[in-house]
Amino acid sequence: MERTGFAYDFPHDSLLSVGDLNPLDVQMIFKRARHHFDNARRGDKEGDTLKGLTQINLFFENSTRTLASFEIAAKRLGADVVNFAAGSASISKGESLDDTALTLTAMRPDVLVVRHKAAGAAAHFARVTGVPTVNAGDGAHEHPTQALLDAFTLTRRWGEVGGRRILIVGDILHSRVARSNVSLLNLLNAEVRLCGPATLLPADADRWGVSVFHDLDEALEGCDAVMALRIQKERMTGGLIPSDREYAALWGLTEDRLDRAAPDCLVMHPGPMNRGVEIDGALADDPERALILEQVESGVAVRSAILELITGRAPNSTIADMRSHDADGLGDGA
Amino acid sequence: MMLFENARLIDPASGRDEMGALRVRDGLIEEIGPDLESHDDEQVIDVKGAVLAPALIDMRCTADPASTGARGVDAAARAAAASGVATLVLSPESGGGFRTPEDIAAVNAAALTSAVRLYAAGLCVSSPEDMAEIGLMLRAGALYLGDGGQPVADTRLARRVLAYAGGFDAWVSLRPDDQGLSRGTVATESDLSMRLGLPARPAQSEAMAVKRDAALAALTGARLIFDRVTTREALDAAQTARKDGLEVAVTAPVSHLSFNEMDLGGLDPHYRLEPPLRSEDDRQALIDALSQGRIDAVVSDHVARTNESKAHPFPEAQAGSATLEALLPVLCGLVEDGRMSLADALRPVTSGPADILGLEQGRLNAGAPADLVVFDPHAPFVYGRGAMQCRAPSAFSGRRLFGRTLITIAEGAIIHQLEDE
Repeated sequence: MERTGFAYDFPHDSLLSVGDLNPLDVQMIFKRARHHFDNARRGDKEGDTLKGLTQINLFFENSTRTLASFEIAAKRLGADVVNFAAGSASISKGESLDDTALTLTAMRPDVLVVRHKAAGAAAHFARVTGVPTVNAGDGAHEHPTQALLDAFTLTRRWGEVGGRRILIVGDILHSRVARSNVSLLNLLNAEVRLCGPATLLPADADRWGVSVFHDLDEALEGCDAVMALRIQKERMTGGLIPSDREYAALWGLTEDRLDRAAPDCLVMHPGPMNRGVEIDGALADDPERALILEQVESGVAVRSAILELITGRAPNSTIADMRSHDADGLGDGA
Repeated sequence: MMLFENARLIDPASGRDEMGALRVRDGLIEEIGPDLESHDDEQVIDVKGAVLAPALIDMRCTADPASTGARGVDAAARAAAASGVATLVLSPESGGGFRTPEDIAAVNAAALTSAVRLYAAGLCVSSPEDMAEIGLMLRAGALYLGDGGQPVADTRLARRVLAYAGGFDAWVSLRPDDQGLSRGTVATESDLSMRLGLPARPAQSEAMAVKRDAALAALTGARLIFDRVTTREALDAAQTARKDGLEVAVTAPVSHLSFNEMDLGGLDPHYRLEPPLRSEDDRQALIDALSQGRIDAVVSDHVARTNESKAHPFPEAQAGSATLEALLPVLCGLVEDGRMSLADALRPVTSGPADILGLEQGRLNAGAPADLVVFDPHAPFVYGRGAMQCRAPSAFSGRRLFGRTLITIAEGAIIHQLEDE
């Protein structure tokens, strides 16, 4: 039986917050990311969907991996990419952020990718410039592409993340990765747990639609995936946590501890890792469990997909029929 | 097996106060009754009407194996046994050990050969800016965490410590004292201390800190011990926190139940204490609070200072006093003065601290550990004359006290027995 066609266009020209997305948007991103992921694995890394577009990566905070990921994601699709990284001349010349933004806008870029230490920075840039903007991390607020690549990686394994129990352990308080992941995993109907020392958990985190734990063994019970967050060295002072050995003993992920989790529990880390602190070295290298390098690989594909979709360059950026997206299941078995 | 006969059985937990007998078997109290039949194979001890009560639990005794060595710990344990204390929580001194799990393990090792039960409290901060290894210390067996008597001046650090320890459901013991007011002072601000020319802090310093810490406990959901409350205003503030539903406990030092600031009159360095001695009004408030059950634990706050440390003018002498052997007698004295019943006086050194710390001892009922004390609550003696176990300088030296410990039993074994005079 034919149903009346239902058309849905990807409605966003920026990606600032996971909260702006609905499940269909995520489906579209994942579908396109899957295409790029498979192509890259086959060695087919040349695309032209972003040809003629200029992308400026504005990284006010130090980053190597995210910057590289965005650069590769854009270049593979033919975009011209300019990096404007922390320590660049105009940042240190005392120019206001708005002046920097307007100066760059005058060069007519088509996409801005912004990382900044202040919450709301990417949204601010988008507002001031009117240029499509991707938030590559704004303070402890959001890192939407990281959450999307994490969920994409899990979706590739499982078919979907809905109904799965996923634990995020570590410094939730200072983590934009955690905040974006909580939003996205909730949107996709996963059961989310947070665990860490009370000093690294936000007040009222139990109102985020998650369960909050201080005891890692308890938190791991029945988990399908666990995501360890990086512990910044500067957290060891100032009374947030006493020492790295205490952190490792109480909240470090180890193979033994995963006995409490589901048998095939997957292990993730947004990188860069402190081996022996938040994650045991052997566990991070366990090919059966660790998805850490696959997350990086997914990152390029997901970012390619997002850049295409917000610039309106993705082929089939319309879901023409609701039924078709069911048939586009993303799992390996689908 | 042991049978105690003809005893005045006092169990503060249940309020029991009656004549009877009690049988000990395999380290536990086997049965209690008005008149128990003796078995052939057991030692029968006629206590001749003396009190038989749960042995005392002292939540705060400063003796650090790292700084005083095994001998210092051993001396404290002997003084404890001689005065009816069978459970001793060794507490950190700021700057001392007790900040790593290894330090706690050292106390556990000392406990293996000690007659009394030894436990450790850990330091919650390792420096004025940093948290100590709270989680690992708790794992190693620390009973609670404390600030070592050095108040955590930085409110943000205090909040973090309470939040972090709260994640383990652990008790944090903070000495309430506003550092901005009390740093560098040795007395309580008053007409007397001003005449004596002593650097002094207002008594309100304590209440202000109680209010701050209560607010932090509410914020973090932590379990908070107000460590050594000594002023009326602070007692009221702590009671308000309790009424607000916070999980708080109040301890009081035994010295402040006995002495007031008038004892400073001669500027005798033996009375250099921390917290400093307070007004008589504050001392009365403390006794009233005790009789009304508003103080969960009375602590000895014992510290064995050297004679040299007291061989200085009052402001320059080290603070602290040997007090373990005065703990039970001071409480007996309050009963002698008609201020409260013996059961009420004993509660904050038996079931009170046991309830806070989750210990099984500290009560008289069948199946409970046989940690017991037999004492004569009316016997007078003068502190320092005759056989005191601890020879360290004490504010109680020369004081007339009531109550002599006759027998102390820990885990069913006699660890102290007063020789007939």
